[in-house]
Amino acid sequence: MIRVRDTPRRGSSTFINRFSQYACVLVAGCILLTAPRSLVAQTTSDGTFADLSASADSAREAGDVARAVQLYEKAVQLNPQWALGWWYLGTLQYGNDAYGAATDALTHYLALTPKAAPALALRGQCELELGQYAESLRDLEQSIALGAANEARNAGILYFGIARDLTKLGRFEESIAQYTVLIRHGVRSNEVVNGLGLAGLHMATLPRDIQAGQQELVAATGQAAATVLSGDFSGGRQQFEQVFQRFPAMAWLHYFYGYLLFETHPREAIAQFQEELRIAPANAIVHAMLAWGLGMQGDYAAALPDAQKSVEENPTLGLAQLVLGRDQLETGDVKGSLAHLETALGIEPQNLEVHLALAKAWSELGRKNDARRERLQCLALAEKRAAPDANM
Amino acid sequence: MRTCNALLVLLLGCSSVLAQANAARPAGSCGDCHQRVVSTQPMTQMGRAMQLPGDNPSLAAHPKLTLHRDPYIYTVETQDGQTAYSVSDGKRTLSIPIRWSMGAEAQTWLLEYNGRFYESMVSYYPKIQALDLTIGDDRLLPTTLEEAIGRPLVSEGVTTCFGCHSTHAVADDQLTLQTLTAGVTCEHCHTGASAHAQAILAGDTSVTPPSLGEMSSESISDFCGRCHRTFELVVRAGWRGPSNVRFQPYRLALSKCFDGADPRISCIACHDPHQKVVRDTVFYDSKCLACHSRAASHAPPHAKVCPVAASSCTSCHMPKTSLPGGGGHFVFTDHDIRVTRPNEPYPF
Repeated sequence: MIRVRDTPRRGSSTFINRFSQYACVLVAGCILLTAPRSLVAQTTSDGTFADLSASADSAREAGDVARAVQLYEKAVQLNPQWALGWWYLGTLQYGNDAYGAATDALTHYLALTPKAAPALALRGQCELELGQYAESLRDLEQSIALGAANEARNAGILYFGIARDLTKLGRFEESIAQYTVLIRHGVRSNEVVNGLGLAGLHMATLPRDIQAGQQELVAATGQAAATVLSGDFSGGRQQFEQVFQRFPAMAWLHYFYGYLLFETHPREAIAQFQEELRIAPANAIVHAMLAWGLGMQGDYAAALPDAQKSVEENPTLGLAQLVLGRDQLETGDVKGSLAHLETALGIEPQNLEVHLALAKAWSELGRKNDARRERLQCLALAEKRAAPDANM
Repeated sequence: MRTCNALLVLLLGCSSVLAQANAARPAGSCGDCHQRVVSTQPMTQMGRAMQLPGDNPSLAAHPKLTLHRDPYIYTVETQDGQTAYSVSDGKRTLSIPIRWSMGAEAQTWLLEYNGRFYESMVSYYPKIQALDLTIGDDRLLPTTLEEAIGRPLVSEGVTTCFGCHSTHAVADDQLTLQTLTAGVTCEHCHTGASAHAQAILAGDTSVTPPSLGEMSSESISDFCGRCHRTFELVVRAGWRGPSNVRFQPYRLALSKCFDGADPRISCIACHDPHQKVVRDTVFYDSKCLACHSRAASHAPPHAKVCPVAASSCTSCHMPKTSLPGGGGHFVFTDHDIRVTRPNEPYPF
């Protein structure tokens, strides 16, 4: 059994401990099942390596982390194919807050056992600590795909990691989606609530790094949002009203509330987007969402000016291109819509809404094979999208 | 699946329409000019998508229906045209008047209790002439008598139900039950029909509802799909598997032959919404052969001619599909038109 930390820290150690126990069994099993015979022979016939690895294990079991790290480092230098050594080295370095060294060790381990979900999850946590958010996101998502989130508590930690990565990467709406999963499964710690507030306010900051002057705003916004997401719309409305009163000129607040209402209360959402634009008139995302909302209400003609403004303000915004393309499609300019939809596809090739709109455009133009291709793509994307909270 | 789906099933899935449809149902003054369609439309399944107390032949013919679903007993009892839906746990009984019956023959009830709307836990199925669990509710395991009433509906679900099963019941996403007309009537589809009728009476022929006949096949699918569910709606909701056979516009869009710009393949190419649904497979042959025939003029390239048969095309290419679980009382025609193979899994 590995003791990664002596004291709980930032909510991760319980997960890591459990995770390490599981991983030990998994790794040992993998090695016995998959290690080439020559490797087994080498590790048993090489006295130096055998001594080192045994000493490293003893030091680790005795809780002498510093010595264990030294010995594991020497052992894996002697035998870089020793997967278990890399794993222990990675977990011990993680426990030392040596995230760079941990990442390096886990990378070696993953080179030997590429589908080890626990190692991917742990490396993703390390990369998050190192500020390598894109890499962290990739690893955490892959670990989930390989089953690292099959246990609810692990799932919570992993989704929280992904949410923070997405916030730091400026993918705020995707981050909100991850927080939504967490909140709806009863995870409502201060860190999660603050993280939700940050994502909603489009602040690319980690919850632990919130500046003192923003604590109140972020926490109140997060709380109000969590109340809405947990289904208490009346309570959420009251809380948001209080936040609006305290921070009347704050950008993104009305947008965030509208975004949360969009699915269930689309007309209220539209009103919030309009209010946001009164506070911050030049916002391509809000113009696009307003246009999208009007379109979903069937009022594509009314949506068109906002869609056009959105593209003018930020032509590289996939959402803006999508919304303008969709509005043109629905108001009869099918050919004109294709240019924007194709641009949106280039920016966001995995966006379901882009493929839905393209399917319709091709169909309207009588290009049934293209329409069918897009529809099949839609089904594939929808199936992928259905998975996220299956284990929560 | 989302709320109101079971009600939608009933909207779509009745095997036949009773001949004694409410011929007296007011249709405004549309019938003054459009007598042919106004005389038949109220008897269609859409025309009878909702039934009100006193006008419910199925319940009148079955004055007492019961279902025991341990530990609850459901009773639907009709007397003097008024029906009560009751659920009892043996100690306590909740009784709710049925005001809105969704479906022409098969029926699910929309119930109002303590200010909330519920989709009834049990429904009436004509195939068995009895109650059974409402489709999709077999996984609901109520722990209180209130929960046993049925599936509580959120506001969006309620407006969706009323919006599809009746006319003038929803305005600006709000319920307007005081103006509700049961079933799908003229203005449900022909927006502005009343204004048109009034204008005509005043001698003004310029006010006309949008012409639905000029819509493309793709747009017609979207239009009908507002209630029968579009491809986009089903995909966004992630409704996969045999239960989505109920959603014909979605299924049709998956067909290889579906061409959104070809009027020969659209909802109204095969179905006249003002007439009862035709059940005879031969009736539809001409629709298929409009393309899939050597004699077809303007046949699309690659339109194949069936090597096996020249009639009853739909019997093979649009297989009948039963709903899974408690929905076994329904069989739907799969509108994903395709060459079927023995034992192939249900596609999409």
